[in-house]
Amino acid sequence: MKPAFNRRNFLKSSSAAVAAASGAGLAVGLAAPAAAQAARQAPFASAGRAADLPKAKGPRLVVVGGGTSGLTVAKYAKKEYPAFDVVLVERRDMYSSCFTSNLWYADIINLAYLADHSFLDAAVNNDYVYFQATALGLDRDSQTLVTDQGDIRYDFLVVAPGIAYDWSKIGVDDVATQTALRQAYPGGFLSPTEHVTIRRKIREFEGGVFVQTVPSGNYRCLPAPYERACMIASVIKKNKLKGKVVVLDANPEITIKAEGFHAAFDELYKDIIDWRPDSAVTGVDVQGKVIHTAFDDIAFDDAIIYPNVRASTLIEQFGLVAPPTRSNQHEADIDIRFYNYADDMRVYVTGDARRHPYSKSANTSNTEAHYVARVLAARAQDKEVAWTSPQTLCYSMVSADPQEAIYVDTYYGYDTEQDAITGFADTQLFQDRNEDNAAAYLEWGRGLYRDMFKA
Amino acid sequence: MDRREFARCCAGCALFSSLGARAADVVDYPRTRLVVAPGAALKAADVPADQALVFAYPYAGVPCYLIRLADRAAKPRPLRSPDEGDYTTPAGVGPGGALVAFIAICTHQLSYPTPRVSHLRYAPEGSELAGDAARIVCCTHGSVFDPAAGGERVSGPAPAPLLPVRLQYDAEADTLTATGTVADKFLARFFAAYKGDLIERYGAGAYRRPVGDETAVQPLTAYSRRVTTC
Repeated sequence: MKPAFNRRNFLKSSSAAVAAASGAGLAVGLAAPAAAQAARQAPFASAGRAADLPKAKGPRLVVVGGGTSGLTVAKYAKKEYPAFDVVLVERRDMYSSCFTSNLWYADIINLAYLADHSFLDAAVNNDYVYFQATALGLDRDSQTLVTDQGDIRYDFLVVAPGIAYDWSKIGVDDVATQTALRQAYPGGFLSPTEHVTIRRKIREFEGGVFVQTVPSGNYRCLPAPYERACMIASVIKKNKLKGKVVVLDANPEITIKAEGFHAAFDELYKDIIDWRPDSAVTGVDVQGKVIHTAFDDIAFDDAIIYPNVRASTLIEQFGLVAPPTRSNQHEADIDIRFYNYADDMRVYVTGDARRHPYSKSANTSNTEAHYVARVLAARAQDKEVAWTSPQTLCYSMVSADPQEAIYVDTYYGYDTEQDAITGFADTQLFQDRNEDNAAAYLEWGRGLYRDMFKA
Repeated sequence: MDRREFARCCAGCALFSSLGARAADVVDYPRTRLVVAPGAALKAADVPADQALVFAYPYAGVPCYLIRLADRAAKPRPLRSPDEGDYTTPAGVGPGGALVAFIAICTHQLSYPTPRVSHLRYAPEGSELAGDAARIVCCTHGSVFDPAAGGERVSGPAPAPLLPVRLQYDAEADTLTATGTVADKFLARFFAAYKGDLIERYGAGAYRRPVGDETAVQPLTAYSRRVTTC
């Protein structure tokens, strides 16, 4: 499935509907979410005991997921409405960010930059509880979240579980092959352990063909596969290897900041990066190390296979998934402006599991969460707030030595009549790579960490 | 009442009192003369118009910008900070009311100038991001502030204005003294966010000591090895 048009042109045309960018068949916000959505909801099963938590001192806000969205919501909901008793449920005991992880592959940053941030400190600094547990089920009637550490009653629930991979859209349907890909050729957009594997692959690459695939649809972090190609290419250049990066792109054009990336590919990595448009992966021979596309078979020495993206399976498990008419990526059936699920004013979904056509990026999730925190604070006091757009500010490093970056800074519009997100607004594109942007990029990442972990 | 509640109550009382009789006042801090070198006072006439001068105030680890506005006098202006509540910015001082000063820490995600790099700068000629001339821009996330309007946010994601530093001008000697600011809780947050870095740069405790009788100014481009433009 290919996007219907060239995204570069699209980005310039702020009047175009953003919805189309996330793939054919996705209609956004055409109607109010259906009241009840019974399909595929897991049966509610209580843990049989209450979670070990202090007694709530105010309306309890439970946030599921300690990524960019969840951490930001937990902090700012408490700031906006100090009466909230906030509990952040996160299964990890160690944070490491997905955003900026590409920079580690070329040693622009180290692992501490990504991971030297504590859930405990975030909770203490911002007066909430970090509860390390895995969310298992949801009963909206009794307002109960089930975790492996016990049940938690909520007054308000925010579900921010992020994404999952969808290998079926790259022609890999059997679980055995999916598992092999997940382990041997991880996409690098889900978990820190993928980043560790990818860094090892790049450091240990001795030449030949290194494939980076780019999926179709509204995948997480549009520029990241291209940025990663630049980082791999810079390592190849530095190590003086006879090798190249083959970028198999499902899309007809680079999906964002195309001019800046094309300039980098042509001027910095002319004989190293081989970018191939309209090259959607249709299958993978894991043993033979061959990737199939509609027109080609590409043998590789190593690869990063980025499958299509969908919402975390937790959205389905909780019975919150939108019908295909409103999301073709199994995203949550939430109100396009206020994020509540269907007509349940107690349950919200934020971050990359949203059905919005927003760019699935950290800056989008962070700024969206600031807004949703205000929505929650208002609703806890029987008030409403006016909709405001998230900001998608997205840097890409295209050169590692010297460090040079490009960026896009954009907002979104909302159409009252259609109840839909209508397009980009106030877009600024800086596609001439330079060192100032690179320095600002590193500070941008630090700013996000501060915003999530510090007071 | 536990300690946290007590602290909250105090914060509440402080906020309440700041909205009462002393509303809109800049808080007095120890007076500090701006100098170019120990004992050598900065002459207001020597404040350049092409970039900000950096000085530490009211604590050793807090960078501030002294700015000469080209053609717009800064008038007092009521503003609000989520950290500090309501306040009124001080007027510009010196000939034409053209000299203003701010805490040089972006109120969005606390970017500030370090000896290595500054993403926050005064752009008298305008910039790609700001458009208009004579704005303060933060390249990290694209926030723009107007120094002639008390540091008010013009555009971008910052939720609050830059916080002002009050200056006193001695017309006879043509010198400047910093006398106060509105940044108590904001600076506590800044110190908490950067404590490890500040200890590395200034030494344990040193970053939060009052600057003393004098504070040295230097151009931003001398203070930071790289000043990003956007």
